[in-house]
Amino acid sequence: MRLKKFVAIGTAVVLSLSCVACSKKAENKKDNTKEATTETTETDKATDDTAEAATDDAAAEQELSYANIVLGESYTDITTTIKVYNHRTDMNTEDYPGTTWSEYVAEFNKMYPNITVEVETDTTYADNALLRLQSGDWGDIMGIPAVDKADLSTYFIPYGDVETVSKQARFINNWVYDNQVYGIPSTGNAQGIVYNKAVFEKAGITTIPKTPEEFLAALQAIKDKTDAIPLYTNYAAGWTMGAWDAYLGGSATGESTYMNQTLLHAKDPFSDKGDNTHAYAVYKILYDAVAGGLTEEDFSTTDWEGCKGMINNGEIGCMVLGSWAYPQMQAAGEHADDIGYMSFPITVNGKQYASAGPDYCYGINANSSDDNKKAAMVFVKWMTDKSGFSYNESGIPINAEDNNYPEVYSAFEGIEFIADDPAVAGEEDYLNLLNTDSDLMINAGGNTKVQQIIENAANKGMTFDEIMAEWNEAWASAQESNSIEVNQ
Amino acid sequence: MITYTDHRKKSLRQRLRSRKGQQAIIIFAFMFIPLLLLFLFTYFPFAEMFKFSFYKMKYTGTRTYVGLDNYKEVFENKQIFSSLKLCLYYMAGSIVQLVIALYLATMLSFKTKGGNIFKGFMFFPFLINGIAIGFIFKFFYTRGFVFDTVLQWCGFNLENLPFWLRTQGLNNVSLVGTSVWRYFGQNMVLFIGAIMSVDAEMYEAAELDGANKFQQFMHIILPSIKTIVTLNIILSITGSLSAFEPPYVITNGGNGTATYFVVMNRIAHTNQKVGLASAMAIVLLMIIFTATILQKLFFKFAFRNANAEDEVVTSKKRRRNKVSKKQKEAV
Repeated sequence: MRLKKFVAIGTAVVLSLSCVACSKKAENKKDNTKEATTETTETDKATDDTAEAATDDAAAEQELSYANIVLGESYTDITTTIKVYNHRTDMNTEDYPGTTWSEYVAEFNKMYPNITVEVETDTTYADNALLRLQSGDWGDIMGIPAVDKADLSTYFIPYGDVETVSKQARFINNWVYDNQVYGIPSTGNAQGIVYNKAVFEKAGITTIPKTPEEFLAALQAIKDKTDAIPLYTNYAAGWTMGAWDAYLGGSATGESTYMNQTLLHAKDPFSDKGDNTHAYAVYKILYDAVAGGLTEEDFSTTDWEGCKGMINNGEIGCMVLGSWAYPQMQAAGEHADDIGYMSFPITVNGKQYASAGPDYCYGINANSSDDNKKAAMVFVKWMTDKSGFSYNESGIPINAEDNNYPEVYSAFEGIEFIADDPAVAGEEDYLNLLNTDSDLMINAGGNTKVQQIIENAANKGMTFDEIMAEWNEAWASAQESNSIEVNQ
Repeated sequence: MITYTDHRKKSLRQRLRSRKGQQAIIIFAFMFIPLLLLFLFTYFPFAEMFKFSFYKMKYTGTRTYVGLDNYKEVFENKQIFSSLKLCLYYMAGSIVQLVIALYLATMLSFKTKGGNIFKGFMFFPFLINGIAIGFIFKFFYTRGFVFDTVLQWCGFNLENLPFWLRTQGLNNVSLVGTSVWRYFGQNMVLFIGAIMSVDAEMYEAAELDGANKFQQFMHIILPSIKTIVTLNIILSITGSLSAFEPPYVITNGGNGTATYFVVMNRIAHTNQKVGLASAMAIVLLMIIFTATILQKLFFKFAFRNANAEDEVVTSKKRRRNKVSKKQKEAV
């Protein structure tokens, strides 16, 4: 009996002690970090004092800005560890055919040996990044997820004002608030269609289709004359469907103001404009292709990883994906030369345009220590200016002076790139509000709505006009509930 | 020796030393940690979620109080309402699953050749991770892959076979199939366990009275395991209300397979309507509560006759226990 009691009390004590120990440890940690921060502020003060005595040069160094950083000269004395959180899981594996993260970091360390860079990647990045952002525990650099523009300054530090940064980097307009730039793009993409040249040739298509009719005729020709699937939808992967939204702006309208300005106030943006342009024409291509049997026979079991090899081997005619997909399709098999890229088949007033814009943009944690902020900005600048990342990933160069476009962009000769202008001041968050309230989530993970087009086309459900009418209605009611002015 | 004379004069120290005090300390010490964990990871988040359901909010940014608007939208939103209808597929599936499990459990609890091997094989799917099962069946149902090939061996022509995941309606049946395949083994094992506890003498007696196997099942086995049957039905129905893994992994909720949970996940994470998703969760909780209470009432009604028989069994057991106790004491 005694022994039992002893054991019981003993375990109880151990259990409760372990709990106490845990909380103590946490407290200790807190204290440590507190000490650390006070220390850094003290050292900062010390440097402040010396800096005051020194020249303007040091004063310039004080103000951390993208434009002021000279790679290889600025902040070379910093010793720290920064963490980068992003979506490129493939680059974090050793068998990635291109340059891996560890290779980039090793290269970076040749210039900045004292800055250790740790890279964390995530397969469901878009969702997880938002959660991690909220928790604050994500590191120093991340690809900015879909946050409200008004909240940018709570999470990220600015790189400088629009005028200064735009002299050095392209596509910086995505994350601008109050004229401050919060995100530097990792790379830029143009929106077009990746296709297999051999399949198109076999089907007797000699000129690249420029209008929806020509494109559908080309798909029909592929179906009639070859065994290939004319257009592979990638329905099952989900995000590949949301990718269709990327063509709504520049490619379908030729206006740089459409996406962030016109669309917000547009009345019935999804209705037929009668000239094969705008959103209607973009999604109608998909609907007609599916309804006409020009896509794979079972859309519900499409396989994203598998499709890369299939297009490489000539089993697929084409896929609607951004230019970033081009190198992946080339690397997926032995027929890299067969892979081609073309612009989206919409012609506005006799001229073709292509939406071009940034991929994920790097944001720097506003809550990092000063040293880490500096080191992070150095790394971002190195990634855009020196790493060759953009070129390696077949992206449009981000450095404004770099005009070394990868091979794939030769397909865009005579086609004007359109980068979206930012929203008007005060309307930065309108698109987010409309997206959420209408459930359409344009360019923000609205995969379901595009999947819906395929489902209805394949199952002979709603007609295309009915779907578009439904979207118009959702858009209008979202505009109304946020009291956004609608232009007639 | 402790003497219980004057209770009022006892100091705190003494009171703690007393038997009652010691009991209280032990009880408190042992209860504290599990209760703390329970509160911290269950009730506290739940209370927070309940609070969220009254706000229009994202994960980031400002929150505005909107009262019951979110609840209104749960009932008005066409997408959410239609997703609830899918539960019927899963409920039907869970009934099929329980019937299969009960049948096999009864078979296997009588003498069967290789019974344990069968049990092992049928229980095995339950041990596989749900996500892995999703991926297995994604390829299983793909046109011209495993399932179609097997059916072609059986003489079916590929031309005549439907698209298992593409045809709306049928795709839900396919998904329910995966869930039945996964869980029936577990139900079966639970049933076998319950059937084991049935007194073997009763079969003998029944056989002497001329009862066949089906009558034995209806009148001996079923009443004896009714608690576990009820439990399994309740668990399966609640489970089918909250079906998530098969549609999420296999079809990603596309093509009319988005169950309530999948829609909720999309609303919370893609559309960032955290308030609405929280309201959906609360509504689902209410639905599950109601369903459980209704089932309880139903079973009370359904088994009202069986109760009498059950009592005979328990009283018999009690008597036997008494006897064995007496025997022990004698020893």
